[in-house]
Amino acid sequence: MEILHIENLNFRYPKAEKDTLHNVSLNIGQGDFTVICGATGCGKTTLLKLIKNELSPAGEKSGEILYNGKNIDSLRLRESACAIGFVGQNPDNQIVTDKVWHELSFGLENLGVPQNVIRRRVGEMASYFGIQDWFRKKTDELSGGQKQLLNLASVMVMQPKVLILDEPTSQLDPIAAADFIATLKKLNTEFGITVLLVEHRLEDVFPIADKVLLMENGCVLLYDSPRVVGKNLKKINPEHPMLKGLPSAVRLYNLLSSDEVCPLTVKEGQEFFRRNFKRNIDFSDGDKSEFSDKSDAAIELKNVWFRYERDLPDVLRGVNLKAVRGEIFCILGGNGTGKTTTLNVISGLNKPYRGKIKIDGKKIKDYKGNSLYRKKLAYLPQNPQTVFLKDTVSGDLEEMLKAMEYKKEEREEKIRDISEKLGITDLLTKHPYDLSGGEQQKCALAKMLLSEPTILLLDEPTKGLDAFSKSSLLAVLKKLKSDGITVVMVTHDVEFAAVGADRCALFFDGEIISSDAPNSFFAENNFYTTAANRIARPLCPTAITSEEAALCCRGNGEDNG
Amino acid sequence: MKAFGGYHPAVTFTYFISVLLTAMFVWNPVIQLTALLGGIMFSLMLVRKKAILSDMGFYISLFLLVAVTNPLFSHNGVTPLFFMNGNPVTLEAVIYGIFISVMVVGVLFWCKCYNEIMTEDKFLYLFGRIIPKMSLVLSMALRFVPMFKRQMKNVSRAQKAMGLYSQKSYVDRLRGGIRVFTAMISWSLENSMELSSSMRARGYGLHGRTNFSLFKFGARDAAVLLSGLLLFVVVMIGVGSGSVDFTFYPELGKISLSLKSLITYISFFILSFLPFFIEVKENLKWKYYISKI
Repeated sequence: MEILHIENLNFRYPKAEKDTLHNVSLNIGQGDFTVICGATGCGKTTLLKLIKNELSPAGEKSGEILYNGKNIDSLRLRESACAIGFVGQNPDNQIVTDKVWHELSFGLENLGVPQNVIRRRVGEMASYFGIQDWFRKKTDELSGGQKQLLNLASVMVMQPKVLILDEPTSQLDPIAAADFIATLKKLNTEFGITVLLVEHRLEDVFPIADKVLLMENGCVLLYDSPRVVGKNLKKINPEHPMLKGLPSAVRLYNLLSSDEVCPLTVKEGQEFFRRNFKRNIDFSDGDKSEFSDKSDAAIELKNVWFRYERDLPDVLRGVNLKAVRGEIFCILGGNGTGKTTTLNVISGLNKPYRGKIKIDGKKIKDYKGNSLYRKKLAYLPQNPQTVFLKDTVSGDLEEMLKAMEYKKEEREEKIRDISEKLGITDLLTKHPYDLSGGEQQKCALAKMLLSEPTILLLDEPTKGLDAFSKSSLLAVLKKLKSDGITVVMVTHDVEFAAVGADRCALFFDGEIISSDAPNSFFAENNFYTTAANRIARPLCPTAITSEEAALCCRGNGEDNG
Repeated sequence: MKAFGGYHPAVTFTYFISVLLTAMFVWNPVIQLTALLGGIMFSLMLVRKKAILSDMGFYISLFLLVAVTNPLFSHNGVTPLFFMNGNPVTLEAVIYGIFISVMVVGVLFWCKCYNEIMTEDKFLYLFGRIIPKMSLVLSMALRFVPMFKRQMKNVSRAQKAMGLYSQKSYVDRLRGGIRVFTAMISWSLENSMELSSSMRARGYGLHGRTNFSLFKFGARDAAVLLSGLLLFVVVMIGVGSGSVDFTFYPELGKISLSLKSLITYISFFILSFLPFFIEVKENLKWKYYISKI
């Protein structure tokens, strides 16, 4: 039985030149778990918002969306508020009230449900989601994962039949994200709730989806089971940018252009790999790495200890770190281990109480005033929004150059150069907040680079980015590297580190416990490693990307160490 | 363990109002002393002993300050004790000074207890019922403020790490602060868009909104509320009948010990020690339970 029927849906924003959605037709069955993916700006969010009546954007709409056979516009407000639940991207911005229990009851209060019924439903929901331990807490004290779970629970309390979610895990760390997805799957299997999920971290969601909807330029490109989508996308367009965003097993499958059934999980991927395996290639770079601890250091930390207040526990417990000039150095590790604090310490925002920090061979204390931040070091924080203070991107860039004391003509030229380099020329006149996550990231990076740093610090640069933005970020970083800039980044994203880093380090419990070139680094790890490595590991432990795994199967690849 | 805090907000709020009203407006030494002692005993049950000790210094000096200031400046009264710079220091003024100190410190203690017991969510709950929109708005504000502060800190740090937020002079700092603040306003507006869609998505704006709270009004709440009110009414009747009137100037009056005034004193004593008794009873109960286990 179908619960949502979308027929010939067209949508155009006011003053837009072309349709955001074009002839979209879909049948979504009751209890389907549908994953919607596509590059940024393909119209997936607009589609979601059109389905949720209350959030419909203004614009020209034609075609029909039927919920249980009824046009969605004709649903009574009360009915539509209950029937279709919506969870958005940012965990913080969706929370209305200050207490967890109040947030849970908010929707029911709006519906005018009596006190005793609210009490019961809220209690029931809190028990199901395991919220009872933080039921009376302030919403502000929760972790990101807890906040997003609360957002889900406070929608579920209204007993929706359809859940639509717009990149709900993009701001979460991998563990919280996996928890969230698992909860969604549980709601889907245990209650038959129809789920429409926009997501670009496909590794976890592809295997559990019933259907995958792949959109391109406002049209439906593919709408089928994940295996079929995994198989057909390459046939439609062998260069399609979404191919890079698919799960590792699917990518490996696509690289080998096999005719077998498309594997989705790591387990299936391992089997597929075993069947197609030809020969082992050693990808480890051993001591050959051009960047070793013996080279010239751009950043050097020796036995650095830090705590936020005298009575609080240590956050950094003797960090030793050496980032070599001209390398991309990745610090990996879980939440709350002190990765971001390390960057804060390097950038001089926090002062350690013990240990030495040298930037370019000079003690950090000897950089007076703002001299550290001029032509030396730039730090792009986790949320690129915090970088912008002006109404336009160019205004922000201009400001940086004024601080650098450039003349007007020079400024214009510099802005032109940097925007060409990062591909943001079209964005200069826009308001920074109107940009997508990836675009914000690039513009913020542009502002950083105008201070002409030789060292660039990045905190979670891939957070919330889709596969396409990630690869363009990677291209930018490689370009910077070739210009001789040292990049040190902190990330959860092992896949990104595997392809981007010259050296990776694992941060745990306030110190760096291992560091090495990526292939050797991940080959040594058994669990904290890429999905592609987990697939290839039994036969070829040093392969860490799908491409490398594919080389082992082709067997003709030259030994590129 | 705050046993008294476990009562329904309406109960605790009414209670505090009646005690504070009496303590502030009934000018009688017995009533004031009772209020002071009741307040001290109650706060002893609420706050850690250490915190009380450190606060004591403040209260004692305040007490002395108020008590000494009055006779130095006020020369009313008919019983001079001694002369200072040619001005009489009178017994009445000294007593009046002490009386005022007792009152001020007593009220302060009660306010302290009020703060401990009447947390903001209870206040919101009570007044939200009178103005339903208000409670939601306040709750949203309480949610928003810490978020705003955190973001503001992040922005300032980001600006500092770009070397755009120099802290050399006050003017620089102020200018930096203003820049950050204006950016924060657009950030808030941006945020509120997402927030309002989250609210609409959950049916905000439908007719007949209800207010949910975790507080329940039970039999024991009714009992405490009624007995509190009853005692307060008795005290007020006593006050109204003039049986506890007391004069300081020009000559100290006598503390009335008539039946009427005794009833008033006793009622107020019970009223102001009510939470103390409840706390003690609860503490004993726990001890008893523990020994049974």
